[in-house]
Parts: sequence; C-alpha cells; structure tokens
Amino acid sequence: MNSESSADREMKELWQSQKTEGVRMSVEQIRLSAGKFQRRIEWRNAREYVAALVVAAFFGFQMIRGGDLLTRAGFGLIIAGVCYVIWHLHAKGSGRPLPEDVGFASCIEFQRRELERQRHLLRSVWRWYLGPIIPGLAVLIAAFARANPGHLKHFDVILAAYVLVIAAAFVGIARLNERAACRLQRRIDELNELSGRA
Amino acid sequence: MAETGRNPDELFEDTAAQYGPALERLARAYEADPEIRRDLLQEIYVALWRSFAGFNGRCSLRTWIYRVAHNVAASHVGRQSRDRTRTLVDLDELANLPDRTEGERSAGRRHALDRLMEMIQQLEPLDRQVMLAYLEGMDAASTAEITGLSARNVATKIHRIKAVLARRFQEGGRNEQ
Repeated sequence: MNSESSADREMKELWQSQKTEGVRMSVEQIRLSAGKFQRRIEWRNAREYVAALVVAAFFGFQMIRGGDLLTRAGFGLIIAGVCYVIWHLHAKGSGRPLPEDVGFASCIEFQRRELERQRHLLRSVWRWYLGPIIPGLAVLIAAFARANPGHLKHFDVILAAYVLVIAAAFVGIARLNERAACRLQRRIDELNELSGRA
Repeated sequence: MAETGRNPDELFEDTAAQYGPALERLARAYEADPEIRRDLLQEIYVALWRSFAGFNGRCSLRTWIYRVAHNVAASHVGRQSRDRTRTLVDLDELANLPDRTEGERSAGRRHALDRLMEMIQQLEPLDRQVMLAYLEGMDAASTAEITGLSARNVATKIHRIKAVLARRFQEGGRNEQ
C-alpha cells in the first residue's frame, strides 16, 4: 500500500468522521418550512411591489403637478417604463425559488443555465431596462423644449447637453452590461469545455 | 407519487435518515456561519422534498440527492458572494495560495478539519463539488454523473485535489516530526 492511498484514506476518514449536529427533519417540519419559504418569497415580492408603488407615486405626483399635457404624458410613460422594469426583474431576475426539476440538472448544467439566464438579462438590457424608460424621457425632453422659458440664454445648448449626458449614461450602462455578459460567456465556455460539450 | 412508485414523503424520510450527516457536511462546506448554515440545510431539505415528486429513477437516488443539494448550495454561494464580495478560487489558484495556518499545524485533528474546511470554502462551486465527492468517497463515475464533468476532467481534478491536500497536510505533518 503506497503512502498516497493511506493519506487519501486518512483525509476521507477525517472528513467523514467529523461530528455533525444530527439535524433530523420530519415531513411535517419540512411542510412547515416549505410554507415559511413560500411566505418569505411572497413577502420579498410584496416589498418589490411597494418599491414600485413608491416610484410610481413620486412620478405620479410630478405628473399631477406638471403643467401641460405633454409633460404629464412624459411622466405617465416613465411610470409605465419603471413598472415594466420592476416586473421584468421580478419575473426573470434571481429572486425566484429554485425549479422543482433541479435534480434533473447536473451541477454544470445548473450553473450553465444560471449563467445563461444572467447573460441574457445583461445582453437584453436595452429591451427591458433602458428601452422602456426612453419614450418617457424623450417626451419629457420634448415638453421641456416646447416650454422654453425664453429668459434662459443658450437654451438649445443646455438642451443638447442634457440629451447628450443622458445618451452617454445609457450607452455607458449598456457597455458595462455587455462587458459583464462577455465575462459570463467566457465562464459558460469553460463549463462547456469541462463537460465535454465544447 | 414519484415515477419510481415511491411516495415523496417516504423518499424524504429515507433520505433524511440515510444522508442526513452527509448533507450536514455538505452544508458546512458551503457555509461557515452556523446560523445561516442551518437555514441552508433547511433549504436543501425543502428542495429535496419538493423535488422528489419529479424523481423518475433515471439516475440513482444518491445522484439525485447530491445534485439537488449541490445546486441549492451553489445558488446560496452565488447569493452570498454577491452580498459579501468574496472571491472564490479554483483548484490551481488554491494550490498557489499561502496556507494561512501553516504555523499552527500541530493542533491536532480538530484543527486539521478546520483547515480542510477553510480550504473547501474558498473553492469555486464546481471544484468544491468534486472535492466533496472525493472526500465522501465517491468514485469518478458517480462524481461525473453528479457534476456533469467529463470523466477525464474529473480524473484531472481529483489528481489536483490529491496534490493540494498532500502539499497542505502531509508535508506539514512530516515537517512536524
């Protein structure tokens, strides 16, 4: 018997003979726990909806006190956009319970699915995060331009700078997301290679 | 009723009786904080219980149990590492990391286990899964089935695991003599 296999045995014995707490759970306890987990998820969802309501209330308030129809329409569109973003995050984000078929997936397959889901979220950021806000912003900018107070010097320049800053922020966010998506893709490729799928 | 003809509740009770200690060790390998670990173990049990309704016997019950447990625990690590901004390493990086407890090697079995646990908790989920399967005494084929790694990659990883463990433990032991 070589020393390596004796070392192997010792290490495995060390691991397997460690003292455990002997936690035993009955089916009844598990049913109760499953109920508690479900309620925790519902509570977390409720908090997300409350956050959406707060955002909607803020823009709603602006909409009510905002003067002309175009401004109000802009705030209304922003509210709709924010609601869509929150719904999308809730439906496709990471805060979902694990699927019941979790045992069908090997560890690599499970990780790959998670990474692919995250990559998709990052790559589609224009569709679900930036895009839905743009109509509201565009209408608000148009309303702002139309309501040119007149006494402001270089109003056109201010407006152009404003649009430019917003556009730069949007492009910056999209690029950061694309970079993160590329990093995830590299990890997915590594997993494919490890599983022999590549 | 699961497709194996066995009631999910029955499957759960058998699992809890037969795999309870192994699942506790698995939870310990993924979470150092005892309070959070209890929650994780409970989450694993709940996921197992829910999953048994879909267990169809296409893989062994043991493979199913470990897949569910590892997948739940890996999700937990994902959530925790986002919260704690902790960096996980793979086996190659682990081999090159300095052993923070090198000067305290002679503190016996308990200490050896703590060091082993600390090493495991630094690993990325996939390497951690292979390491745990190895320590639980599983063969390469079972490890490949649970993790989804190719047999060749399991063999490579086990070889690296042995090398890292030997360097960290055996050489230290010899130095003490």
